[in-house]
Amino acid sequence: MSGTGTPSSVKDDDRIWRHRLTDRSLHWVSAVSVLVLLITGFLPVVGVNFEWVTIHWVTGLILLAAVAVHIVASIRKGQFMRIWFGWSDIKIVLSMLSSTPEKPGKYSPAQKLMHAGVTVLVLATLVTGLIMMVRIDTPLWERNIYLFEDTTWGVIYVVHGLAAMALISTAMLHIYFSLRPEKLMYFRSMLRGWMTRGEMETNHDVSKWSGDRT
Amino acid sequence: MEALRYSSNAWGQRVLEGVSWDLLPWFVGIGVVVIVGHALYMQFFARKKS
Repeated sequence: MSGTGTPSSVKDDDRIWRHRLTDRSLHWVSAVSVLVLLITGFLPVVGVNFEWVTIHWVTGLILLAAVAVHIVASIRKGQFMRIWFGWSDIKIVLSMLSSTPEKPGKYSPAQKLMHAGVTVLVLATLVTGLIMMVRIDTPLWERNIYLFEDTTWGVIYVVHGLAAMALISTAMLHIYFSLRPEKLMYFRSMLRGWMTRGEMETNHDVSKWSGDRT
Repeated sequence: MEALRYSSNAWGQRVLEGVSWDLLPWFVGIGVVVIVGHALYMQFFARKKS
C-alpha cells in the first residue's frame, strides 16, 4: 500500500480511524450487490442467457437494505451532511489552481462528487427496480403488468436502464481511482478502517478532520 | 442508432419499451476514455509539474 508505512509496520498510535467496521461492511455489501446487479442485468443484453431474474431482484433487495441502513446510520451518527458537495468544496477546487491549494476535511471534493453520483444512480435504479418488481411473480405476490399504462412503464424502464448503464461508467471510474497509487490509502482504509497520521496530515486539513476515533 | 426501444402492444400501437442497449458501448467507452485520459495526464503532466 502507498503512504508512510505498510499495514504491519504502522504503530497503533499512528493509525487514524476513518471508516468503522459497520461502514466498511455496508460499503462492500453494496459494492458486491451493484456488481452482481450489473452482471445479471447486462449479461442477457449481450447474449449470455441464464435464469437471472431471481438473482437480480433478490440482490436488489439486499442493496436496498444496505442503503437504508447506511442512511439511517449516518443520520444517527450526525454525519449525514459531511459527504455532500457544497460551496466549501468549490473553494477547494478553485484553490487547486493557485500555488496554495486548500486541503479538504474527511472527504475530498472528488470523493463527494463520486458519492453524489452513485447516490443518484443507485436510488434511481432501486426505486424503478422496486416498481418493476410488481411485474414479476415472487413468493410474496403475483405479478401485475397493468399497474401503469404502457407509456409509464416505458419511462420507468428507460430510467432504470439509463441509470444502470451510467453505473457501469461510475463503477469503472470508482475502481480505477481506488486503485491509483496515490489513492491506495483510501482503498486500505475501506478495507482495514485506518490511514496513517502522515497520510492524514499530507492529504487532509486536520482542523476540519483528524480521525473519527483514536 | 436509436436512443430508445419501442415495440407494439396488443392493439398494434407503438409503445416505449426502454432505453436502447445500443448505448451500452458508449457508457463503457466514456469510462475507458476518462480512465485512459486521466492515467496519461498523471503519467506525463502531473508528475512533471510536481
